[in-house]
Amino acid sequence: MQEQLLKLKQAILDQLGRIKDINLWRELETKYMGRKGEFTEFLRGLASLSDEDKRTIGRLANETKKELEGKFAEVRSIIEGVAEAREADITLPGAKMDGGHLHPLTIVQNELEDLFSSMGFMILDGPELESDFYNFEALNIPKFHPARDMQDTFYVDKKNKEGEYDLVMRTQTSPVQVRGMLKYGAPLRCVAPGRTFRSENIDAGHDHTFYQMEGLMIDKDISLANLIAIMRELLNSIFKRKVNTRIRPGYFPFVEPGIELDFECAICGGKGCPTCKHSGWVELLPAGMVHPNVLRYGGIDPNIYSGFAFGLGLTRLVMMKYGIDDIRLMNSGDFRFLKQF
Amino acid sequence: MYLSLNWLKDFVDIPKKMTPEELGLRLTMHTVEIEGIKKEADKYDKVVVGKILEVKKHPNADRLRLAKVNVGSAVLDIVCGAPNISSGQLAPVALPGAVLSNGMEIREAEVRGEKSQGMLCAEDELGLSDDHSAILILDKKKAKVGMNFADYLGAKDIVLEVDNKSITHRPDLWCHYGLAREIAAFLGTHLKVVLQSNLENLAAGREADSKAIGIKVKVEDTKLCPRYMALPMTGIKIEKSPKWLEDRLLAVGLRPISNIVDVTNYVMLELGQPMHAFDINQVRSAKSEKSECQIIVRRAKPNETIETLDGEERKLDESMLVIANDERALAVAGVMGGANSEINSETTAIVLESANFDPVSVRKTGAKLGLRTESSMRYEKSLDPNLCALALSRAAEYIKMICPTAKVAGDFADMCDFTLNQGPITVDLRWLNRRLGEKIETRKIVKILESLGFGVEKSEHALQITVPSWRATKDISIAEDILEEVARIYGYDNLVPAMPKVEMRPPEVNAERAVERQIKNILSGAPGLAESYNYSFVGEDQLGKLNISQASFLSLANPIVAHQTLLRQSLLPNLINNIRTNQARFDAFGFFELGSVYFDIEGNLKKNNSEFLPYQEKHLGIILADSDQEKSSAKIKGILEYFLGRFNIRVDFRVVENKDNWETSAVGEIYGNGELLGRLVGLGAKLERSLGLKKSVAAAELKLPALLQAIATAGTRRYCQPDRFPAAERDLAFVINRKISYNEIKTEIAGFNSLIRSVEVFDVFEGEALGKDKKSLAFHVEYYNPEKTLTSEEVDRVQVALVQAMAEKFGAKLRDF
Repeated sequence: MQEQLLKLKQAILDQLGRIKDINLWRELETKYMGRKGEFTEFLRGLASLSDEDKRTIGRLANETKKELEGKFAEVRSIIEGVAEAREADITLPGAKMDGGHLHPLTIVQNELEDLFSSMGFMILDGPELESDFYNFEALNIPKFHPARDMQDTFYVDKKNKEGEYDLVMRTQTSPVQVRGMLKYGAPLRCVAPGRTFRSENIDAGHDHTFYQMEGLMIDKDISLANLIAIMRELLNSIFKRKVNTRIRPGYFPFVEPGIELDFECAICGGKGCPTCKHSGWVELLPAGMVHPNVLRYGGIDPNIYSGFAFGLGLTRLVMMKYGIDDIRLMNSGDFRFLKQF
Repeated sequence: MYLSLNWLKDFVDIPKKMTPEELGLRLTMHTVEIEGIKKEADKYDKVVVGKILEVKKHPNADRLRLAKVNVGSAVLDIVCGAPNISSGQLAPVALPGAVLSNGMEIREAEVRGEKSQGMLCAEDELGLSDDHSAILILDKKKAKVGMNFADYLGAKDIVLEVDNKSITHRPDLWCHYGLAREIAAFLGTHLKVVLQSNLENLAAGREADSKAIGIKVKVEDTKLCPRYMALPMTGIKIEKSPKWLEDRLLAVGLRPISNIVDVTNYVMLELGQPMHAFDINQVRSAKSEKSECQIIVRRAKPNETIETLDGEERKLDESMLVIANDERALAVAGVMGGANSEINSETTAIVLESANFDPVSVRKTGAKLGLRTESSMRYEKSLDPNLCALALSRAAEYIKMICPTAKVAGDFADMCDFTLNQGPITVDLRWLNRRLGEKIETRKIVKILESLGFGVEKSEHALQITVPSWRATKDISIAEDILEEVARIYGYDNLVPAMPKVEMRPPEVNAERAVERQIKNILSGAPGLAESYNYSFVGEDQLGKLNISQASFLSLANPIVAHQTLLRQSLLPNLINNIRTNQARFDAFGFFELGSVYFDIEGNLKKNNSEFLPYQEKHLGIILADSDQEKSSAKIKGILEYFLGRFNIRVDFRVVENKDNWETSAVGEIYGNGELLGRLVGLGAKLERSLGLKKSVAAAELKLPALLQAIATAGTRRYCQPDRFPAAERDLAFVINRKISYNEIKTEIAGFNSLIRSVEVFDVFEGEALGKDKKSLAFHVEYYNPEKTLTSEEVDRVQVALVQAMAEKFGAKLRDF
């Protein structure tokens, strides 16, 4: 019995002396010392011995157990010590995680929608293929109005009964103003982000397809000071800092008065660069007080209600926010560009 | 439009310490956008005075000569083609780097083998006139070798460039006088001179003689011509204009032509009123008396033609207005004069025209003729008919000034029929302050309005405002217009921002937009797709390559490029391009796009009161590129299952019998909770090759309305308790005919017995060993009873029956692993 015990002990010690890995250590520990381990079983087997035998071998067995436990602990701490000493270079990078990418326009549009939702604005949508009526007429831009020059319009090749082209790729998100008024009436707070079109030749600064976000607020006694406050809030929130702005007159037939908010060019910091046409300022937010004629088209009484509207250049804002210097990237589907967001 | 600072200073005092840049900024902040400020001298940058030292023949060209020219800093070799050069002359030399007015950049070059280090310039090359006959020879008294040509010219003006788009609503601002008025208003000063017509005196002052010319004007359409004024002048001698006049025109980018034409242009730039001068002998018809001259303002006759000043033969129609005598049209009203009555070097007597034409008519006529002139641009903005008299008076005075022999030769004609609504407009001051959002002192408001030419009468809470005629044509008619005048001169940046005070109300949620955002967030997450934004247009070639018929496509009436002429009906063609443009740089990648498509059928949104817009809906496109078809196809289905699963939608893919014409392989329909949502598209190797695709592409397109519907009905996910009893899982592999779809087998197993809780395919195999046209489908089948622990016997019983049923229904044989 005693011999058996010593033999087992030696076998265990021999194996323990050879291992250098914590997993093998665990295996060995389970194999011999675990609940069903060989050494544990051996000890359990001693129970059937006579009392005298128990006494003689019991002590030895107990000592052996302690010794083995001590040895196991010692080996483990050696292994761990070695592992610690060989600890990997913590400065190495982690395993690569693949994920997808939202388009930067989506990211900024989401931020803006959240901002305006938090101020009680609805998010509206409108058709990209619009009628001449909503895109121009209802916005106080009748046929042959000089303001039609300001917008190079894509017409759809489908004439109406009068033989005129009356379908356009909307040149602005503003048609949503009148559609919104007709649907919801006053008071009204809404923004309408979306795709707009101008038949312009494409270069680094111009694209025929771009994004705007229309904003409209109609209530009793809405003022210019209100408009200016909301516009500033919008910019500070997007850039997460105070942005330098200036407000100057601008002409848009569907607002009166009409203003333009420029902000200091984020590409050059106001020093002048090709993006800001060397002026240091970027035109971003044409806006104004909704023209009474437009309120009337929307079925709202201008004697009771007033309101403001703005048309944020979303694409330009995105370019400014991320320092994108070529507008063509936005509609390029270039994975090198998209995977950065 | 360009503004000369010197010219502005004729009318308004600008503080000495105000720089041109500051003035430009103030204009931008109060009135019009100033796009740039340039020194006039910059136009002649790198152009200097040179002395021609010697002239030799060019060895290789008869018409060219070689000149040695001293430009002060060096002696240059210059090849020159002009006939008039000789040694000793002083001439303008454009040095390398100079950019001439026609855009030509001067570089050192070889001309027929001879070095040329600059260019001797003719007048046209410097933008001084149209003269290209000879090199400009300079005055030896004024010119010094090496001096800047700008200094020689005395070009010291500053030029401000106005953004024309910012004054489309302001007919009064297309000139120096109008902008000077604005400057005076925001500087808080007054105009130096208030211009008034002196016509009565001019006409009265003429010598009463028998040679008086009677101008008779007949206006046939007073709607298209509310006012027509004409004045005869004789004793005209056509010459070059004096330098001061030429300088002004040159500074703002107009080429001097001759004294009379220059004066008409000068008055237009000064007052904004287009003018025209006819040679009286060409106006007077053969039949008429020498002392008479009749002008008819009428609509053009059908198929009438006129040769305009630019030498083009123009075909007119009855919608157009012309100025005519009793024989022929002399000018297209408000657009351009005719060549037949043009001022020429022989002209001795003229008729000056100062008229007002209907803006819409001028605009339409210009558009039809493809002619946009300085004149038509101004008429389109609705000019003040009162301006005609002032302009005519100014022009006559200038002509008398620069051409001393000129005389007013008869009474002026004035046919007018117009009314202007000059108000008064009542503006409630309390309303005004509420709209501004702050209170501005009434005194300040009145001062602003008066400085702009408004008449103001005050009562307790209101102002009665009379509109000056130059603002009354269209620009100012309601109280909001007055609000703008006050706000902009006060300065928008001076208003204190204030958040609106309104009733708190949660906004109505746009469910569609919310779902769109969720879709984008899911697809840009675990599926690893990049969101693409593609143009809404496709091209004929592009569709042709995909075998898509373009018959039903809406097209643009005025496309810019050939590859973007049609309105897309699917997102996939452009997404396929995305794969092609990226395939060289990346191995496995994919995109999604959520965007609109457009159809030539009636939709549900109103176009106007009675008709509807073409149908538009949003689609979701997904595209993947991978090394082989199996991978890309499996992955896209996995993405769809994952993404729709997030909306609690169970997906199945079904075989489609009627393939669209361009989908040639692996086409299926995507069903969510049993409803058709979209389709799966594989292009197939052949189409991929012909499209230049080097990857295997799998794509899917879903209709957003169907998807929204499915999401709305899918409801919220319900929590399931963890199993209380162990489930039993068995693996079964069936060998079946390869034509039988997974869907059929799976549906049969899943519905076979209520103890079968789920069926999941884990292996699909086709091989010789199975026999011809056979495939093996292996499933994990899970058995579960929520009431108790299943025994092996219970499970076995069901399984035996299942195997038997499968054999009977599909001829399926159980396969051993």
